[in-house]
Amino acid sequence: MTVNGFPYLTSILLSCVAGLVLILMTPEEKIPWIKWISAFFSGLTLLISGYLFFAYDTRIGGLQFAEKMPWVESLGIYYFNAVDGFSLPNLLLTGLVFFTGVLTMWELSNRVKEFFALYFTLVTGVFGLFMSMDLFFIFIWYDVSLFPMYLLIIVWGGTRKEYAATKLMLYLLAGSALILPAILYLYSVSGMNTFSIPALMRPGTFSPGQQQFAFILLFIGFGILAGVWPFHTWSPVGHVAAPHAVSMVHAGVLMKIGAFGVLRVAIFLCPEGWKYWSSFMAFLSAFGIVYGSLAGLRQTDLKYVIGYSSVSHMGIVGLGLSTMSVDGLNGAVFQMVAHGVMTALFFSSVGYIYDRTHTKEIKELGGLSRIMPVASGYFIVASMASMGVPCLASFWGELLVFIAAFKVYPVRGAFAIMALAISALYMLRVVQRTFYGAKNEAHAHLPDVPFSLGIPRMILVTVLVVFGFFPFLLLDVIETASVPFIQGLTR
Amino acid sequence: MNPMVFGPELFTFFSVAVFFVLSMRSESRPARDYRVAVFLAAVGLAVSLAAVTSSGELFAAAYRVDFFSQVFKVLISAGLLLVVYLCGDLNGISSRHHPEFHLLLFTSTLALMTLASGVHLLSLYIGLELSSYCLYILVALNRDRDMGLEAGMKYFLAGISASALMIFGLALLYGAAGSLYLKDLLVVFPTLMSRPMAVVGLLLSLSGFLFKMAVFPFHFWAPDVYQGAANQVAAYIATVSKVAAAAVLIRTVAVSGQANTYLTHALAILAVTTMTVANLAALVQRDLKRLLAYSSIAQAGYVLIGVLSVGLAGQSGVIFYMLALLLMKLTAFLIVIRVAPDGTGNPAVSDLAGLHRRSPILALALMISLFSLAGIPPFIGFTGKFMIFTAAMQAGHFGLVLAAMINVVISLYYYLLVLKAAYVLPPKEDSTPLRIPGLEKCIVWILVLLMVGGGFYPAWFITIADAAALMLTAP
Repeated sequence: MTVNGFPYLTSILLSCVAGLVLILMTPEEKIPWIKWISAFFSGLTLLISGYLFFAYDTRIGGLQFAEKMPWVESLGIYYFNAVDGFSLPNLLLTGLVFFTGVLTMWELSNRVKEFFALYFTLVTGVFGLFMSMDLFFIFIWYDVSLFPMYLLIIVWGGTRKEYAATKLMLYLLAGSALILPAILYLYSVSGMNTFSIPALMRPGTFSPGQQQFAFILLFIGFGILAGVWPFHTWSPVGHVAAPHAVSMVHAGVLMKIGAFGVLRVAIFLCPEGWKYWSSFMAFLSAFGIVYGSLAGLRQTDLKYVIGYSSVSHMGIVGLGLSTMSVDGLNGAVFQMVAHGVMTALFFSSVGYIYDRTHTKEIKELGGLSRIMPVASGYFIVASMASMGVPCLASFWGELLVFIAAFKVYPVRGAFAIMALAISALYMLRVVQRTFYGAKNEAHAHLPDVPFSLGIPRMILVTVLVVFGFFPFLLLDVIETASVPFIQGLTR
Repeated sequence: MNPMVFGPELFTFFSVAVFFVLSMRSESRPARDYRVAVFLAAVGLAVSLAAVTSSGELFAAAYRVDFFSQVFKVLISAGLLLVVYLCGDLNGISSRHHPEFHLLLFTSTLALMTLASGVHLLSLYIGLELSSYCLYILVALNRDRDMGLEAGMKYFLAGISASALMIFGLALLYGAAGSLYLKDLLVVFPTLMSRPMAVVGLLLSLSGFLFKMAVFPFHFWAPDVYQGAANQVAAYIATVSKVAAAAVLIRTVAVSGQANTYLTHALAILAVTTMTVANLAALVQRDLKRLLAYSSIAQAGYVLIGVLSVGLAGQSGVIFYMLALLLMKLTAFLIVIRVAPDGTGNPAVSDLAGLHRRSPILALALMISLFSLAGIPPFIGFTGKFMIFTAAMQAGHFGLVLAAMINVVISLYYYLLVLKAAYVLPPKEDSTPLRIPGLEKCIVWILVLLMVGGGFYPAWFITIADAAALMLTAP
């Protein structure tokens, strides 16, 4: 095994697995134990990924903390983990959402052991995908992060859960039905007997025709998970039906996996395909942005509003990726993180409100800011971020993407910016109707968020603000990957 | 002759003899029969493991013992042991017939072992017929006589039709090639490729094995037989007999060499049709065993993709996949047997309701085996499919891989329905927690660990499969 120093990346995965095993071994009745174990191990992953984020040497850039070990030599599969400027922010995001998700579910009482076991499995897959540099493992982790979703939604979910869980599973598996043939196709035509991304990335490995063919399969395959229009329909339904922590992971991190897969696999391996299809990508993304905002305008369920806003925001990520420029890539990755934290905050605060009022219907709420001012505050911060208000993280992501997009695709960029105005409209409308206006007396007796339950939301708000004020913290890291990558293409 | 070369077969023959004697006794003592059977099957597995590295040729070179055949014999013995273990409460068959049941089961296993080693097409034919006849009777032994007889009859008729085609194919093949030794065929076949007689002959000769694998158009017996047979018999047909059939199929198709386009096209069409027909039919099944039957048929389609991608990668993929199928199917049938109403009946999918309460561990095992059957990572079924698809892709069958992946998505739907019943539906009013003895818990955990471990870290099994596949072309 080639490791430079301590295997931090593997230890992230191992803390997930250790948590999973301990949860499985704990008797079902010992609910507090299970929760403390979950909190401890998810906190550990957050600490390690936070440490990596700051320990990453931005002056050198490139792949760091690499760990490589032969896995199946006859097929050329390596256990190969490493992080670069694209994956590192996502790793931090995953740790953050994971930990705050556990805290958000602190009040869960139904089938607690199974819930956390599945939740840990899911997040193991997410972590693995962000750090893996081997196509075989990327596919494995992709599916590891999907199959627990089915049970998580269908057992603990809410609105139309059976429909949502089945739809989600079939859509995402259909995505993997495109990804696997594409991966195997690239593996076979390269003739190099390796699944390693850095090895396959060398220019000249694939002909332009092969790249165009594989790219579109990979783009649609991963794009389904990223909520690319018109393959997004599973996503709002899934968001709404899932339990809160799962919605957080789902919108906050899982959809990022899709976008990250497009970046790491499709764009890295098939840059010619990227050139060929980028205009098509931009079209789908811009359409998604506009469509998501318009659909959000009509929703009456809080979670549906967030679900459609996710479609719209993920469209921004896609638009950034399609610009083929440093700013676009920076913006896209920045937006992934910002949107992840923001939706996690959204679902976390909706979770608290729903657990008390037992409704997500906007018209049944109202005046909540006078009943539970703190809980409302969290939601309002998230909706500010969603509107792209400056000083919150998502502002920078959107700004960078729109600057880049406007240069390359002026019309599509203009439409996307207009859609942003619409999204401000529906977000303000939701905030106004839910938190201000007439108070619903039926909810008047409900308590506000106690300090202990507020911790996860406070963490998320802090992160949004910190990255909003100091975007260079994130941008410096992302640039170490985006600048050399784009330079490598133009050379 | 080193007796270990022929050890597994000799020992199985000895077990058959033991049950032959027991079946002559007038009093029926099922508990004793069960203990004897488990003991013999366990020793049989040990013998197969001990003989795994032996090699040699027997019976005028019509019987070849090499690493390939021995690996399959280990799989067959392991499968038999588990099926026999599950016969603890063999209520599906009247206790009077238990010695005969074991007699036939072991005889069939003996025949399947000869299939793994046969390198002369006639010895393969004999092995095939011997095992099939045992299974016809086993199916018909069901306590519910009408159902058992109907299923047995259907199985028999389908079987002899396939055998008739096979004999015809063998005659054509002999006419074209002048020999029925696989190693002679391997030499002459490349020159015969353009002659329809040889290709048709080979294709028809395969029909016997395709019947055993339940490949379209020889698949229609499977759902009725699974439904009509006692659960343990269905488990045996779904696992052990499939393993042996795959072994001969790889060996026989391997003789056609790399680039026989006729045969490849024919098998590709069969593979896609098999998968699609089975997966679509499975969508509407309500009976758990029928559903598993269609799922087995679909799995046979995936196996066929590996078989037709002739070459080391495809063959080793199929060997690996057979191990995976054995584990997944046996786990699924273990649950079928445990949840069957009063231990004998055919469980419907809805009988799984509340399994997560009645027995969390069985529900977990069911989940993993279903996801594994559907081919979802990181379970062993995925890794097997991955190897097969990689081989197919390297042989240039992109469309085939895509069709198979689409089928994977279709199949996921009905696996999810089963899973939903086990995890979401509340337990029925009259259901009680399932009592699982400690030993069985161990077995279930071992199966689960093998399915997860073998899927996630398959290197060890792949090395074995590669070494076994290498034997196919070795002189």
